[in-house]
Amino acid sequence: MNNEMLGIILAGGQGTRLGKLTKDTAKPAVPFGGRYRIIDFTLSNCANSGVNTVGVITQYQPLELNAHIGNGASWGLDDLNGGVTVLQPYSSTEGEKFFEGTAHAIYQNIEYIDQQNPKYLLVLSGDHIYKMDYDAMLAYHKAKKASLTVGVIPVTKQEARRFGMMNTDETDRIIEFEEKPEHPKSDKASMGIYIFNWPTLRDYLVKSYATDKSLEDFGKNVIPSYLAHNESVYAYAFKGYWRDVGTIQSLWQANMEFLSPHNRLNIGDRNWRIYSKAQVLPPMFLTDTSQVNNSMIVDSCYVAGEVDHSILSQRVSVGMGSRVVDSMVMPGATIGKNVVVDHALIGEEAVIGDDAIVQGTPTEIAVVGYNEVVGVQQP
Amino acid sequence: MKRGSVSAIINLVEPWEALEPLTTSRPVGTLPFGGRYRLLDFPLSSVINAGIQNVMVTTPRSGRSVADHLRSGRDWNLDTIRGGLFTYPYNDLKLVSPEKKATLIHHYYDNTILFLKRSHSEYSVVMSTRNVGNIDLKALIRYHEERDNPVTTVYKSVDPQTLTPANTILQLTDKGMATAVVPAGKAKLKATTKKAAKNMDIYLMSTVDLIDSLQEANRRGDLISLEELMKQAVIQHNANAFEYTGFYANIHDLASYYMANMAILNEDNFRALFYSSRRIYTKVKNEIPTFFAQGSQFRASLCGTGGYIEGQVDHSVIFRNVLINRGSQIKDAVIMQGTRIGAGTKIENVVIDKNVVIGPNLVLKGRPEQPLVISKGQHIFQQAEVVSSD
Repeated sequence: MNNEMLGIILAGGQGTRLGKLTKDTAKPAVPFGGRYRIIDFTLSNCANSGVNTVGVITQYQPLELNAHIGNGASWGLDDLNGGVTVLQPYSSTEGEKFFEGTAHAIYQNIEYIDQQNPKYLLVLSGDHIYKMDYDAMLAYHKAKKASLTVGVIPVTKQEARRFGMMNTDETDRIIEFEEKPEHPKSDKASMGIYIFNWPTLRDYLVKSYATDKSLEDFGKNVIPSYLAHNESVYAYAFKGYWRDVGTIQSLWQANMEFLSPHNRLNIGDRNWRIYSKAQVLPPMFLTDTSQVNNSMIVDSCYVAGEVDHSILSQRVSVGMGSRVVDSMVMPGATIGKNVVVDHALIGEEAVIGDDAIVQGTPTEIAVVGYNEVVGVQQP
Repeated sequence: MKRGSVSAIINLVEPWEALEPLTTSRPVGTLPFGGRYRLLDFPLSSVINAGIQNVMVTTPRSGRSVADHLRSGRDWNLDTIRGGLFTYPYNDLKLVSPEKKATLIHHYYDNTILFLKRSHSEYSVVMSTRNVGNIDLKALIRYHEERDNPVTTVYKSVDPQTLTPANTILQLTDKGMATAVVPAGKAKLKATTKKAAKNMDIYLMSTVDLIDSLQEANRRGDLISLEELMKQAVIQHNANAFEYTGFYANIHDLASYYMANMAILNEDNFRALFYSSRRIYTKVKNEIPTFFAQGSQFRASLCGTGGYIEGQVDHSVIFRNVLINRGSQIKDAVIMQGTRIGAGTKIENVVIDKNVVIGPNLVLKGRPEQPLVISKGQHIFQQAEVVSSD
C-alpha cells in the first residue's frame, strides 16, 4: 500500500439520542446543512488530508449510508491506489463480526486493516461537523514519536462533564484520562480522533481478545491501558470549529450556526471543500409569492411560502402561505399550504399537510421523523 | 431495447454567428442554459434516457469547453465498458485552414464512418443542440420501426408567426410524410395556416444506410455538414415525420436564447422540461447551498447553488455561484456562473456571461427583443463602459 496512514471511520453507532431521526438510518447518514450528510465532513477531511484509503465501519441500519458513499467517487476517493471500503459485520468460523465498543470494532476488522498494512491507523467518528487536516496531526504524531495521539478540543468546565478529559504534562503528553469528570483538571476533551502506531495497537487488541477481552472501547479501556503500560500518548490540540451533533438539540444548533455567514466552519473555503454525493437535480425555483430571508436553499427546492432563518435540503417544497422559521428541513420533505414550522427538524420525505403546525421552542426542538405524515386527513 | 442497438451523433457544428458574443469562445452546444445546464445536456440526456451508450460528439474547433464539460462522460453514465463517449474535433470548415481543408476531401466523413462501424448498432440518431427539449427517443425508434421510409425526422408544431426566416420547417404531405426541409422564409405557407412543422434537426435512420450515404459523400468529395446531408436524405427518400409535443425552444440568435431562458420561468414549462420521467443530466459540481440574506427578495426565478443573494431578483435565471449585492435590482435577466453584481446596480433585459464583475450603482438595460449582452469575464465599473443594446 502506498499510503502510510489508513483511515477508519466508525459509523456503526445507533445514535439513539437523535430519536426518530435515526430510527431507520445510521447517525452519520443524517442530513446536515442543506446538501450534506454528517459523514461528508469526515470523508472530505480524509480526502483533503491525502488519506486516500478509508474503511467505513458500519453496523446499525447501513443501507442509506452505503448508498450515499457508493464507490467514493464523489469525494475523489475512487483512487487507483486506495478508495473507500464499507465494512459490514460478517460471519466467519470464529463467529459473527458484530461489535460492541469502538476498539472492538477495530478488532473485528483486523483482516481488512492487515490487508492494507498501514504504519499508522487514523480512527475517526462519523458524527462530527468540522474541518481538520489529519496530515498535520500525523506530522505531530511523528514529531512526538508517539504511540498514540489523541485529538483534543478545549471545552468549558461545564461541558467537560460530558467528555473524556485528557490531563497532560507541559509537553502535551497525556498522563491521565478521566471519563466525564465532575471536577475536570484540564480543558482538553477527546474528540474521538486517534492516530495509533498500528503494530502496537494490533498487539494490544490481539492479546486482549485472546484473554480477558477487556479492550472494548478506546476511551474507557484502550487509553487507560496504554497509560498504565507507559506508552507515549500525546494530545493534539485542535483549534478550529468542531461540533458533536449527537443530540437533537446539538444537531439543530449546529445547523443554525451553519446558516451564519460568519460561521467559523467557513463552508465556502475552496481550499478545504466539503464534498457530498453528487446528485443532478434541477435548480431551485422560487415563485412570486416566496419570501426568503437569512436562509440556505439548494437544488430542486420549490418555495412559494416564507422561509426565515432556515435550511432547506434538496427536493423540499414549501407551499403558499406557509412559514418555515428557525428550522432545518431534510431532503424530499413536502410542506403544504398555510403550514407553520418553527424551531423544528423535519425528517427526509416527511409530509406536513395543509394548515398543520409543527411548533418547537429554542430548548425543545420539534422533530418530524423520516416519512412521517403530519396533519393530513386520512380519507 | 437491446444494449448497443442504437448509436447517437450529437452534432455541435451549428450556426453560431447570430449568438455572438456568447459563442465567441464556445460552440452553441456549451451555451449555459436554465441555471445549471449546457444546451448539449438536453440531447445528451435524451440519448442516455433511451439507454443509448454509443455517443459521438462532433465539435467545431478544438472543443475545450466541450471536453471540460463532458470529461469521461461519467456524469451521464457514459464511462461504460462497452461503447461510451467519443468526441471528434475540427469539423467546422469555416474554421479550418485551406491546407487542412484540402486534406479532408474524400476523408471528411472518415471519423463518423469509423464510429458508426465500430458501434455495431442497428439504428443511428443524429441530433443538434440548438433545439431544447426532452424527447423520448425510444418512442421515436418505435415510430420509425412501424413505418416504411428509411429516415425519420422530428418536428414541433408551432404558430408560423413565431418563425424567423432562418428557422427550418418540414414540408409535410397530407399523410404526414416529410418531403423536404426548407427555410421558413422560402416555404410557401398559406396565410391561413395556423401550424407549421418546425424542424427539430433530429434524424433517425439505419446505421447501414447512414454509413452508405457517408461513404457516397466521401466518394463525391463532399465537404458539407452532416446536417445538410441529412436534409438531402429527406428530399431523396421522403421521411417519416414524428411530432414532438413537449416543451420546446429553438435557439438561433440572442433574442431566442434569452426568450428560451425566460420561457422556463413559467412553472408549467419548467416542470415539463425538468420533472418528467426523463431526467436532465449535467456535469455535477460540489457547490455550497445558496444563501439568501436578510432583506433579499428573490421571486419568480431560478437559482443554482453556491449563490449569495442580498439584493432583489425578479423573473430571472441565476446560475451557480452568483453574488448579488445589497440594493441591486435584477429583472428579466440571465446571469451566468461566477458573476458578481455590485450594490445598487439595476439590471433589466440583460444576459450576462460567466465570471463578469459589474460594479455598484450602474444601470444595464436592454429590450426583450434585443437583450443587452455582457460577454464573458468583463469587469465593468463605469456607466460609460456599458454599451447600449440600441
